[in-house]
Amino acid sequence: MKFLGAKERWGWRGWRRVSQVFFLVFFIYLAARAQVPRGFNQYLFDLAARGQDLRLPAPVTFFFDLDPLVGLGTMISTWTLKPALILSLAVLLGVLVMGRFFCGFVCPFGALNHFFTQKPRRKNRAEKAGLNRPGPDRRVKYYLLLLFLLAALLGSNQTGLLDPISFLFRSLTLAVFPALGFLSDGAMSLIAQAPKPFDLVGFVGPYVLDPVFGFGLRAYQGAFIFGGLFVFILALNRIRPRYFCRVLCPLGALLGFFSRYAVLNLTKDQELCTDCGLCRVDCQGACGPHPDEPWLRSECHLCFNCQAACPTGALKFKFQFSRPGPEPSPLPAQDAPDLRRRAVLASLAGGAALVGFGRVSLAAPARPEPALVRPPGSLAEDEFLERCVRCGLCLKVCPTNVLVPTLTEAGWEGVWTPRLDFNLGYCEYSCTLCSSVCPTGAIREINAREKNETPIVIGSAFIDRGRCLPWSGQGPCLVCEEVCPTSPKAIYLVSQEVWVEPNKTERLPVPQVNLSGCVGCGVCSYKCPVKGRPAVYVSSVGETRSAVNRILLPE
Amino acid sequence: MEQGITRREAIKRLAKLGGAAALTVGFYGTLYGREAKVDPEPVVPATADFRVKGASNKVVVVEGVGQTSAETLVKEALSRLGGMEKFIARGDVVALKLNVSWDRSAELAANTNPEVAAAVAGLCLDAGAARVNFVDNTINAAERTFRNSGLEAAAVRSGAQVIYPSARLFKTMSLGGRRLNQWEVYTPVIEADKLINLPVAKHHGLTRLTLGMKNWIGAVGGNRGALHQDIHQSIVDLTRFFQPTLTIIDAVRIMVGNGPSGGRLADVVVKNTIIAGTDQVVVDAAALPLFDMYPDEIGYLMLAENQGLGRIEPEPGQLVEVQV
Repeated sequence: MKFLGAKERWGWRGWRRVSQVFFLVFFIYLAARAQVPRGFNQYLFDLAARGQDLRLPAPVTFFFDLDPLVGLGTMISTWTLKPALILSLAVLLGVLVMGRFFCGFVCPFGALNHFFTQKPRRKNRAEKAGLNRPGPDRRVKYYLLLLFLLAALLGSNQTGLLDPISFLFRSLTLAVFPALGFLSDGAMSLIAQAPKPFDLVGFVGPYVLDPVFGFGLRAYQGAFIFGGLFVFILALNRIRPRYFCRVLCPLGALLGFFSRYAVLNLTKDQELCTDCGLCRVDCQGACGPHPDEPWLRSECHLCFNCQAACPTGALKFKFQFSRPGPEPSPLPAQDAPDLRRRAVLASLAGGAALVGFGRVSLAAPARPEPALVRPPGSLAEDEFLERCVRCGLCLKVCPTNVLVPTLTEAGWEGVWTPRLDFNLGYCEYSCTLCSSVCPTGAIREINAREKNETPIVIGSAFIDRGRCLPWSGQGPCLVCEEVCPTSPKAIYLVSQEVWVEPNKTERLPVPQVNLSGCVGCGVCSYKCPVKGRPAVYVSSVGETRSAVNRILLPE
Repeated sequence: MEQGITRREAIKRLAKLGGAAALTVGFYGTLYGREAKVDPEPVVPATADFRVKGASNKVVVVEGVGQTSAETLVKEALSRLGGMEKFIARGDVVALKLNVSWDRSAELAANTNPEVAAAVAGLCLDAGAARVNFVDNTINAAERTFRNSGLEAAAVRSGAQVIYPSARLFKTMSLGGRRLNQWEVYTPVIEADKLINLPVAKHHGLTRLTLGMKNWIGAVGGNRGALHQDIHQSIVDLTRFFQPTLTIIDAVRIMVGNGPSGGRLADVVVKNTIIAGTDQVVVDAAALPLFDMYPDEIGYLMLAENQGLGRIEPEPGQLVEVQV
């Protein structure tokens, strides 16, 4: 197994590498499949379709279903069980038995961080080993976890900000893929102008790249921020290997708590140890594999690098159902994270402060925000914020790109949650795809019949008569009426006397909105020829999910 | 004693200096006189005229009585025009300009009937076409629209290909119209050997009806909404630019209200009719009786006649009405 750089025979480390690559590739595959497919893919698609309701055939929520932090955060903020809980329970059970195997074997963001720790050539072994000594900053992730969990308990679920699965999905699909799609599109257009037969690459390339990077050029508000954060987190690996996993990851902290009773132990044989220090050189968790220090069980990612590196066999992972005494190692393992009492209290206070400050900042639950139009099927705002983990799945699957992450439209608590931006797209009348992929049920699953017949209203359209072409006497237009998808149309035409010149009036057909028929899909706004700030716009008022953000008396 | 530089070293340094200077001057010289692009240079297309010589000028209205299939109607219409072989040559790439605008199922008549599209594609392939492309710049999201309209399945069934719109498929071209001088053209429509216009007949809020000529709005890009400000002249300009090999109007189901998007079965009437011909004006006019309407109610039709695109009134014997 020389090609893997292994000195020993194929062992736990080899299986760990295979598993990491598999899950990272599977993650990227699922991320790429989270869109409406084209062409021959439709046969797969038909299998998953129910009537007019398109559904994705790939299990795109798999990693979110697996993630115990997503499960726990939603559970304690809503006091309900989330769908597909069984997978995350299986992960927790595995952690109870083996320790943090998820971090070493499964987590795709862990694998990516791991990859970026590889081979800093400037550093010699002693330097590398020095970076892998346990540091006090390992406790930060536990404090962050406690802060998030207390905030969740008080009704504000912020776990998704740092949850590794949500973080990776959001960064890849809303920043990295669209950016690569944009760059490759330019490159392909250039290559397509090359002399034959090289131009072929430019014509065939998009058929290979588009299914991965997405059909059409996508835009997401604030992608610069989370794309930049992603690059920053990966760059931190050059300062300390797996900085995110060791210091910031709240999921790692959660699994660290649960690893306490694990029966897979690192046994250290003091007799055999020659103090060569090789065990620390590639230690991923900075968990103290060397016999002269205690092994920190809650920090170990089970990367098995120490066992593989040890030339004398002094380090061995063994299933032991009774904890070994001081022999053969003079230092017993440390089973639980050693948290500081004051820091724990401070992080709990921080969690409470986060919610308190968030709510008094006039966040959306208290004050209807006109720009905050949520996807159809979204729960009422307070329940929505209890559930949404900002994973970006709904934004990725949206066929029109109308869904974008918020910045401040949903208040500070709701940063990066989905909203509709009618300059980028509109809500397709019978589309319910986003509701079918939400891993936490912040958008409950609806079907086209329910959406159109209830109807589920997400906002209301209004005409800005000063900008509207016929209303302001500039001439006929009526695109809004043309594209209105309801029948009868919620935008209708009336004949109106308007001024067209200083001393002249004319009768023109002008648009009017019938609010009792409007569902707020915003196709009128998106297609309005008055670009930028359209003459017909949608505001969140009238949304059926809210009891207060209404206009009309319910029938 | 201080060592001076060698002659070799001096030459090297001088060469480097000279090279850098030459590069600087060259770079500056290349950029000198370049200005920010104000307007992209429009591409002048070789032609958008796809008419074939010697084709019949007849306009055929085929009405099915009873349970006539869409395929039978299409076959009957084409046989009255002398067969698809008159229009399609062996090895042709055929662009089928459908009306695939709305994310609606086929029975709502918001898009070209998939049975009709499959039948026309089948006839083209039988006539020896190398490839048939289903093309349209959809209004709703393309993937959903092609799929829910049943036209993606129709393409697979009949051996045609779906071309999905994307930004790289649009080019600014000179149309030479009275109102539309330069506009973005959806290139898959004209990058073909033959072009068949295959719209559905339906109601439209602004122009009253959308038929063959209005279908060219779906062959362009840009800020299409702005075309509404002078919709009739825009349609006539596009009709002068796009001269198809053949126009076939699908009136198997027509939409009589809440157009052009419809949405209820109450908006739909079954007419089981196909209208085909090469004369764009007469073909559109021949669809009016289905809606109990007259040419003077359709602005773009009147304008087309006034501007010499053709006569609304068919020549004696030009209009052939058959029932099958």
